[in-house]
Amino acid sequence: MNTKNTDVVAEYLHEVDVRLAGLPVLQRRELLADLTAHIASEKAERNIQSEGELIEVLERLGSPEVVAAAAHEEFGPAAPPPAKRTISWYWPAAAIAGVVLVLFICFGAFFAQSSSGPEPATKAPATTEPAPMRS
Amino acid sequence: MAELATSLRRGTLEFCVLAMVEHEDRYGTEIVRRFGEEPNLAASEGTLYPLLSRLRRSGWLDTKWAESPSGPPRRYYSLTSDGRSALAHFRTEWVSFRSTVDRLVGTGEAA
Repeated sequence: MNTKNTDVVAEYLHEVDVRLAGLPVLQRRELLADLTAHIASEKAERNIQSEGELIEVLERLGSPEVVAAAAHEEFGPAAPPPAKRTISWYWPAAAIAGVVLVLFICFGAFFAQSSSGPEPATKAPATTEPAPMRS
Repeated sequence: MAELATSLRRGTLEFCVLAMVEHEDRYGTEIVRRFGEEPNLAASEGTLYPLLSRLRRSGWLDTKWAESPSGPPRRYYSLTSDGRSALAHFRTEWVSFRSTVDRLVGTGEAA
């Protein structure tokens, strides 16, 4: 009987946890700890013995879907924006840096070809090297 | 109708939570159980824990675990000074907000 009760609770917590995927690990852990403590308090304070009574406690908590949805609503919106922002500025910046680098290489090659003599040839690599740092 | 209740609850429920621990520290199950009894606020009890977590992370609530005389350890919530000012601010806002809505919707006495 006792193991059966534990099973119901473990299964419930597992179902919640599965639906918390994508949330920060500390917040996942905190919510599961809170739910565990809640169930333990209810069991002790209401002197719950039967599985039926325990299921009532879980029903009052709400379905795993509902509880997880609330967690996503409270914790979710804060997480995605930085990720989106990073992607949105990172790719154009990388593209521009790439174009600038290619241009410098082309100019370097152009100068090395068009002008004769050893002097510009040594200059060319010097201009291509710091370019990526500046961009 | 359930959607209306959800919309009204959003933005107000957290201040009801703050008010509940204004004078006395309370533990999670106690807070959650109390809200479960309120017909207009009744939400699944489990949905309050993410809210409590957010209030703690925004510095309005403080928590500490304590042994219980009968049963498992309890997580007690207390109002921080930031939480206290947030609650005071809400009270002022709410009174003027409520009277505006009452006037416009025709639910006030002066309507």
